[in-house]
Amino acid sequence: MIITNNNTVYEKYKNDYNINFINGGFKDVLITTRDKIHEGYELLTHPLSSSIKPNETPYKSIIISDNKGNINYNSLIIIENSIIAYDKFNNMKVYNNYSEKIIEDFKLIDLTVLESALNT
Amino acid sequence: MKLELGYVFIKDIQFAEVSKVENGTLYVSKEEVRKIILEDQNFISAEVELAKPGESIRIMPVKDVIEPRVKVDGPGGIFPGMVNKVETVGSGKTNVLKGAAVVTTGKIVGFQEGIIDMTGTGSEYTPFSKLNNLVLVCEPKEGLKQHEHEKALRFAGYKVALYLGELARSLTPDETETFETLSVTEGIKAYPELPRVAYVLMLQSQGLMHDTYVYGVDAKQSLTTMLYPTEIMDGAIVSGNCVSACDKNTTYHHLNNPVVHDLFAEHGKTLNFVGVIITNENVYLADKERSSNWSAKLAEFLGLDGVLISQEGFGNPDTDLIMNCKKIETKGIKTVIITDEYAGRDGSSQSLADADASADAVVTGGNANQVIELPALDKVIGYSKVADIIAGGFDGSLHADGSITAELQVITGATNEMGFNKLSAR
Amino acid sequence: MIKVVQYINQFFANVGGEEMAHIPAEVREGVVGPGLAFKQAFGDEAEIVATIVCGDSYFNENLEEAKKVVLDMVKKYNPDLFIAGPAFNAGRYGVACGTIATAVKEELGIPSLTGMYKENPGADMFKNKIYMVSTKNSAAGMRDAVKKMAPLALKLAKGEKIGASIEEGYMPNGIRVNFFEKERGSKRAVDMLIKKLSGKEYVTEFPMPDFDRVDPNPAVKDITKAKIALVTSGGIVPKGNPDHIESSSASKYGEYDIDGVMDLTEATYETAHGGYDPVYANLDADRVLPVDILREFEKQGKIGSLHKYFYTTVGNGTAVKSSKGFAEEFSKKLKADGVDAVILTST
Repeated sequence: MIITNNNTVYEKYKNDYNINFINGGFKDVLITTRDKIHEGYELLTHPLSSSIKPNETPYKSIIISDNKGNINYNSLIIIENSIIAYDKFNNMKVYNNYSEKIIEDFKLIDLTVLESALNT
Repeated sequence: MKLELGYVFIKDIQFAEVSKVENGTLYVSKEEVRKIILEDQNFISAEVELAKPGESIRIMPVKDVIEPRVKVDGPGGIFPGMVNKVETVGSGKTNVLKGAAVVTTGKIVGFQEGIIDMTGTGSEYTPFSKLNNLVLVCEPKEGLKQHEHEKALRFAGYKVALYLGELARSLTPDETETFETLSVTEGIKAYPELPRVAYVLMLQSQGLMHDTYVYGVDAKQSLTTMLYPTEIMDGAIVSGNCVSACDKNTTYHHLNNPVVHDLFAEHGKTLNFVGVIITNENVYLADKERSSNWSAKLAEFLGLDGVLISQEGFGNPDTDLIMNCKKIETKGIKTVIITDEYAGRDGSSQSLADADASADAVVTGGNANQVIELPALDKVIGYSKVADIIAGGFDGSLHADGSITAELQVITGATNEMGFNKLSAR
Repeated sequence: MIKVVQYINQFFANVGGEEMAHIPAEVREGVVGPGLAFKQAFGDEAEIVATIVCGDSYFNENLEEAKKVVLDMVKKYNPDLFIAGPAFNAGRYGVACGTIATAVKEELGIPSLTGMYKENPGADMFKNKIYMVSTKNSAAGMRDAVKKMAPLALKLAKGEKIGASIEEGYMPNGIRVNFFEKERGSKRAVDMLIKKLSGKEYVTEFPMPDFDRVDPNPAVKDITKAKIALVTSGGIVPKGNPDHIESSSASKYGEYDIDGVMDLTEATYETAHGGYDPVYANLDADRVLPVDILREFEKQGKIGSLHKYFYTTVGNGTAVKSSKGFAEEFSKKLKADGVDAVILTST
């Protein structure tokens, strides 16, 4: 299952994958993912994938397992650490008055990073 | 495997009708260089500029830095599998234009990375301010896709670097240095008393603008494997990583990998430098598990006593780093890791996104969130308007007078995780 | 010239040892005891205008009062800099130095500095709050301490940029500061590895966060027969907080009898904790210390029994060392009472 707030990812893969589209920010994707992990889903990709800092890009796509089991503590530790890292960066003000082109670039990078996982 | 590096010291760079190296000056024909760039139909025009140490010049946004080298003797050519054939490199003789570099710049995507200042505060943090740089500013054709743009720019850099390197083919080097790695069994016989040490080199491998290539293979598609250290000196590893300027490894860093050099310096004295294990930093957590399992397995297989691990990039590679460290330590092999920190602008936040008690020997390249003031410089090569939307910049980063207030992470190579610099933090 | 006020204890003021530790704070004009060495180190850049002398017992036993009196004394001189100690390995002196240096910095806004041995209990308590120079463990290290403290003190007074802990000699305080090393990182890493391989001492440049993880005990074999105890750091106490457990930085824990108590009510229990909104805990303390549910389980036979006592303290800002001390003590009691398992609740 893909949890994403990136509509490019959604449009491209909505017919191939189970997508949980989040109408919100990066943090909302992280929180939704955390909640799913609490329910017993396993984290499959690292939430801080890409070296683009979480206070720069507004977009994030994360893959979790389709099926749930017992709570996976490794997943939990990684998502919790990622949320801490996200908050750390978002305490720091950065430029975010992006043009349409830059927004599209961020979506593209997020898509390709996600695809690097989908294709392995 | 044995490689002799011949250093031709470059103390100045100038434009001239004919490209050549004479008395420590690198003369470059602008026209020739432009011709090489424009061989690629993806570019419609190209500017070629010079930036020397101490000049009031800012280069931004920097994509890659490449040192000109040429294979003088021995199999293969520089950048095997990319530009030259996939011959195994790392033996024979290679000449280096030491003190010169090719710097590629470009706006592949709208948000940007990487500043090199040739003077002032910024110059203290980047190793590239000490080089005589040939800077390429390549204008892509309308509608060129980001993937193709990135690739075209990367190859422009390689080709120009090889063109300049070729100038050193028949020169007598000012200084030579020899590096040799014995086979496993020969090494044991030669240094029976010395601890066996390898270097685990982690490579960024996550998608567009986050990639590294080994003999032309995208590192994310490779299992953890081994190289002779000298293969790296011949360009076996090249960087396609344009994100996180301060702690990405440029191609220059790979060619001059400081861990490789400093391990060689102790080789045969205090330790036996067995070789380099290269491993990736993929997005998929199962890949991270597999790759780190393989690092640990190869370390065990080689009968190592110690391992030095270097990282690349921010965030999720912390997880790879800790996995590598933990699993190798579990095998009873001692580790030292090199990383950098994102401790917040005031230095008070948790530095890494992952941690483990087994990582008890850490070298840090410093806090990338530290805020620095970069003075206005006389000339900007590249695209000056991008300072606000540069990683580590913020709203109002670029002041009216051209000075910049931003985090250290804007500077190319500032907190390098191979330990290229003297910067640290406590 | 920079005006300095220094704080020292009765011993360093030559008043006397433990037998004189009860003396209250007093001010003396000019330099006393260790101030001489500082005076020398400062040259004509700074002058110690007054020295406050206070007995260690007096300060620690009358903390609030002593703090207030000393602050008033400092305020009178309106100094540019305040130095407490150095305290070396003297525990109560160290705590006094840390307390008063922090108060001067935070309440009077005057740059302040102290120094002590890294294992002085005052070190862990205050090193993240004020600049604290790491000294040797006895007064024989005075010269060395002054050598590190005096330059840092002057920098603080002048408002100059303070470098990394290793450059300036203060204890790492959780704030990461960049600086340039003599060797590049790869060389430092190789040197560190050689030391690690040969079993020599080395110092990591980035200490991992302190995990202090505890391996979980094996599962309780038969929970329906087990005697369960409740322990909390959420500050639940009988109404009125009979043992006066502090709302933060607790110095003690409470042991309370709940024999026959079926439910914690607003009338009978409350929280002493000052670190969270107490409204819901005060309305129904079972929310923090689930006595009611455990009584139900006890009745239904889901657990063997609920232990007669519960143990409680306030986790808010309480030193890890204190918490460990509490637990070591009451764990023995729990064991002696035949408790099979403990439910720990936090807030």
